[in-house]
Amino acid sequence: MKRLLASSAVFYCLGIVLVSLTRVNFWLILGLGIIIFSAACLSFRNNRVFVVSVFLLVLILGALNLKNSYIQQKYHICNLLPYNDNSVYSLSGLVGSQPVTENERTVFIFLPQEIQLNNLKWLCCGKVLVKMDFRQDLSYAQRLTLTGVLTRPFRFSYGARSYRDYLSGQGIYLLMRIRNRLQIIQQPGGGGSKLIIFSLWLRAKLEQIIRRYLSDLPAAILSAMVLGQRRSIPWLVNNQMIKSGTVHILVVSGFNVGIVAFIVNLLLKIIRIRPKVRIILTVACLLIYCLITGASNPVIRATVMGIVFLLARILKREADIYNCLACAALFILGLNPGQLFDIGFQLSFVSVLAIACLYPKIKSFLRLENLKTKVLRFICEGCLVSLCAWIGTMGIIAYNFRIISPITVLANILIVPLATLITLCGFSLVLCGSFCPFLGGVFSTTTAMLITLLLNINAAVIKLPGAYFYL
Amino acid sequence: MLNLTPEEKRVILFLVVISFCGLTLNNLAKINYRIKKLFCPQARLTRIDLNKVSLEELIRSRCLPVKTSQRIIAYRLQHGNFSSLELLKEVKGVGEKRYDKLKEIFFVE
Repeated sequence: MKRLLASSAVFYCLGIVLVSLTRVNFWLILGLGIIIFSAACLSFRNNRVFVVSVFLLVLILGALNLKNSYIQQKYHICNLLPYNDNSVYSLSGLVGSQPVTENERTVFIFLPQEIQLNNLKWLCCGKVLVKMDFRQDLSYAQRLTLTGVLTRPFRFSYGARSYRDYLSGQGIYLLMRIRNRLQIIQQPGGGGSKLIIFSLWLRAKLEQIIRRYLSDLPAAILSAMVLGQRRSIPWLVNNQMIKSGTVHILVVSGFNVGIVAFIVNLLLKIIRIRPKVRIILTVACLLIYCLITGASNPVIRATVMGIVFLLARILKREADIYNCLACAALFILGLNPGQLFDIGFQLSFVSVLAIACLYPKIKSFLRLENLKTKVLRFICEGCLVSLCAWIGTMGIIAYNFRIISPITVLANILIVPLATLITLCGFSLVLCGSFCPFLGGVFSTTTAMLITLLLNINAAVIKLPGAYFYL
Repeated sequence: MLNLTPEEKRVILFLVVISFCGLTLNNLAKINYRIKKLFCPQARLTRIDLNKVSLEELIRSRCLPVKTSQRIIAYRLQHGNFSSLELLKEVKGVGEKRYDKLKEIFFVE
């Protein structure tokens, strides 16, 4: 079988979906798994039965993994609290994410290690989303003691997926609101992964470089496109890009990962490093870039796919896009099977899958190879990629965001090449700003001009009649 | 000599082109101030002009409930143009929290 990994990923996802729709006991599924495993062992010589049994085992593995992710540890903070509780708790632990400050409010994930109510203390684990009504300088892995009321996330929408579901997908079941600075005590010491601390430090440095050379808005857009930091993007710009269906350019994706791999490879080639060592160092850089950008689903997908492609070169094997995609999906879903229901995960994988599936078929159907003008062929191919991605993701976008943007294809034809140029300029700016600051100014003007052009085109495109409509 | 692939040669050419482009723009901006508009995004691209926005545009932008949008336009008709964003607080339905969000969305010239 050529695409064993791709088929396995399909069965694994099917297992997750089936178990999310039913209320089957973990042990029952495990029992079923043991029976199928025995059948696979007995039918070792019968290839067809064996393969079917293996796929069923993968399906059960997906189901078991999701069931297991629903069960929290005995000392999980969620299990220590009554459902409706207004008591004031004191939590000691570490800051689990880089705090984000927006509108004079600071938000971060807190990893409690100890919970205290009056004079009673318990050890605990889990995640709490902390929202502070003021600006506070905190950093990842800082040790804190927080005092406040713990609440369960609200179910703001009763649609397909609520805010509570979104947070539970990230393993967050409790919120803490901090209204007063007296509710926080900063403790000495800390912890956290050294690699993550280094990545966050590097990200802060790169953001500083971008802000040094560009004004607020271009810097915010470039930070989103190159470093995956979208917090400074104005609401109106984000909203306009959603309407034109081009918001994906503000997310770090496979293209960015490809650029990083290319730049690292080129730099290592210039200093004459051997090909195999070059690939290993490129893989290491891709992992660091993944952490810098916040390790969101599209970045993890692109990083895993990139690593598989690079390793295939070392092993002198041909990489298959479906198997690479499946590998990335299995990696993410293996760590957190609940991510299958995350919109970011769905959009990222479906768009790549749609392009991989539909693009070659439509291209050969339309006989684009026969076009003799190179520029025309390039434009047509660009249109086709946008069209395939739009067809693939239209259903998910319409269901979740209640918006259909027929202008997407046209907008993408105009904006994606510009975004590509901006990303390339952005990487050049960051590199020049880091190593030869005197050259940064030269790149920044071109980057700012391209960003301004992009924003103007986007604002013009959504003003066209029938550009978008809400369902 | 380095054996550069066609892609790597394109990268070098690309870097040269954007450097030239940047230098030319910088030079032109020094001669003619209006050229700066090319690389400084205007405020209307990032925020909505509170004194020019129509009710329909406000509703379509989905940044406010319909009723609050109507009250904002009614306030503008009654009292004239907003002289500062702070005046939004006088509109019923715009509290301190909503104002914090709205000041990131609107601007007053």
